[in-house]
Amino acid sequence: MTEPAIRIASMHKYYGSFHALKDINLEIAKGEKVVICGPSGSGKSTLIRCINRLEEHHSGVIEVNGTPLDDNVDNIDEIRREAGMVFQNFNLFPHMTVLENCTLAPVLARKIDRGAAEETAMRYLARVKIPEQAHKYPGELSGGQQQRVAIARALCMAPEIMLFDEPTSALDPEMISEVLDVMVGLAEEGMTMVCVTHEMGFARQVADRVIFMAEGQIIEQAPPDQFFDNPQNERTRTFLSQIVGH
Amino acid sequence: MPAHHPVIPAELPRQNVLTWLRSRYFATRRDAAVTIVFAAFVAWILWSLIGWALLDATFAPNAGEVCREDLHGGACWSVVSTRWRIVLFGLYPFEEQWRSAIACIVMVIVAVLSCLPWFWSAKRLPLLWTAGFAIFYVLMRGGFFGLAEVTEQNWGGLSLTIFIFAAVSLLGMPLAIVFALLRRSSLPWIARTMALVIDVIRSLPLLSIMFTFAIVLPFVLPEGLTGDKLYRVIVGYALFFACYQAEIIRGGMQALPAGQEEAAKALGLGYWHRIGYIILPQAFRNALPPTINQFVITFKETSLVTIIGFFDVMASGRAASGTADWNFAVVEMYVFVGLIFFVFVFSLSRYGAYLERRLGVGRR
Ligand SMILES: Nc1ncnc2c1ncn2[C@@H]1O[C@H](COP(=O)(O)OP(=O)(O)O)[C@@H](O)[C@H]1O
Ligand SMILES: [Mg+2]
Repeated sequence: MTEPAIRIASMHKYYGSFHALKDINLEIAKGEKVVICGPSGSGKSTLIRCINRLEEHHSGVIEVNGTPLDDNVDNIDEIRREAGMVFQNFNLFPHMTVLENCTLAPVLARKIDRGAAEETAMRYLARVKIPEQAHKYPGELSGGQQQRVAIARALCMAPEIMLFDEPTSALDPEMISEVLDVMVGLAEEGMTMVCVTHEMGFARQVADRVIFMAEGQIIEQAPPDQFFDNPQNERTRTFLSQIVGH
Repeated sequence: MPAHHPVIPAELPRQNVLTWLRSRYFATRRDAAVTIVFAAFVAWILWSLIGWALLDATFAPNAGEVCREDLHGGACWSVVSTRWRIVLFGLYPFEEQWRSAIACIVMVIVAVLSCLPWFWSAKRLPLLWTAGFAIFYVLMRGGFFGLAEVTEQNWGGLSLTIFIFAAVSLLGMPLAIVFALLRRSSLPWIARTMALVIDVIRSLPLLSIMFTFAIVLPFVLPEGLTGDKLYRVIVGYALFFACYQAEIIRGGMQALPAGQEEAAKALGLGYWHRIGYIILPQAFRNALPPTINQFVITFKETSLVTIIGFFDVMASGRAASGTADWNFAVVEMYVFVGLIFFVFVFSLSRYGAYLERRLGVGRR
């Protein structure tokens, strides 16, 4: 049995006195695709942000590729380089061109020379189907294009894991599929993915496992067919009926 | 390659100048009256000014006697054409003043070069300024390369003003960045101490800080640590500058969405990379107008050093028209000095306006 990509055990997280994550236990295997859903405020973002230390957990264990997340700064940087993240609001760097966005971290944090980094970046920009936008600034692109750049930017670091936090929630409906297509392609290539999303079609198509969270806890997890067609928990059922409702 | 779009000037409806004038300034009887009165007033002032400054003025050097006997009462620019060297170079030795002139020109070139976007990087801009400043210093001070040594006591006029301004900026800006970073440190006691220091220094008048550094410090510091009075004043001024500029930079940082730093962290960029490539460049863009403003104020307030006994451009101007044979031409001298300040400050603020327009396009 190989070591899991992500291992979380008895993990708790507080915001002040607010108990945001309660006793989270989760193992994600290499190459596994996990979709996390749940009502707003249930702690999905907090959980995914704990994995790369954008939020600090208070007790319990988080390991990424066997490297424990503790106060060791080198471990943190190591894990951040191994786990790419895509945000709801894209968070591209507006003062840099698309190409500069994609080459900055490889050059600075991976010490790859600029020429090679640009080549890699152009390859990934071609993969997300916007190589012709390489020299534009993010402000000149549509939301869907920006999010695809954000995915390419994360991929340029050659991560082993990709974390997505509601990558399509800020997009106009007609742009959602162009981003999902890229994510499906990524899944087919065997990337380990943790994805917070309410795109149930996407979950059915690529997820190995769907996790439902409420009030800071993991309530239910199951393969997508079972999760959608035969949910066990009452709250899962209520939640699913609400999403399907609109 | 993007196609070139020819610039098509917007076709304005051709309007008769007279109709336009009438609708804007002569629409009603009262408008007309106000317009006429004001136009007459402005014309009168302009005419008197032109008469004083140009038509009735005396320009030739060494024409003090002519000015005195002049019955038209025009300006006596003779004071400027005779004594401009004092204003520009102060007490700098006459035969060496070409060095002072070249030094000033070098600093102006540096200022102009730093307006070119090519220099806007965390490496190039500091390098440019440090190099320019070093050339300025070597030229002014001498003692190297066969140049006669001229100590700081003999520096003066515009070149001293430029020296103080450049030194304060060069020292104050990195200090301001450090202060701003400490101010937002994640360790509360560092952040709070820094906030206190900034607030205290900002609440003191610049003059009292200059006095403290120039006159009080030598009694407090051990011998050998005090340095020349000029440098103590510069350090004090730079500290003052840094405290204001630090708050300006911090404001620029706070305007950044939290997602910017998070995205940089998520890419595995370390603290200094995040600061140098993501946070500061954007913070400076956000804080451009107040930063330019701060430079303008700093340039103008260099003239406070006269009070501590330095002959900056202001004091030199006063000295140049202060002798018995020129003391009737004080106004002309102040106008000249004012003009020098105006040229510097006005170009600085025009440049700021240009930057704002330029950065506002396509990059946000
Ligand atoms: N920085 C924060 N400070 C305090 N409370 C927070 C913070 N971030 C999130 N929370 C709270 O934690 C809970 C979970 O938030 P989040 O993980 O963003 O939920 P989700 O992504 O599932 O909508 C919410 O109740 C939210 O109000
Ligand atoms: Mg969320």
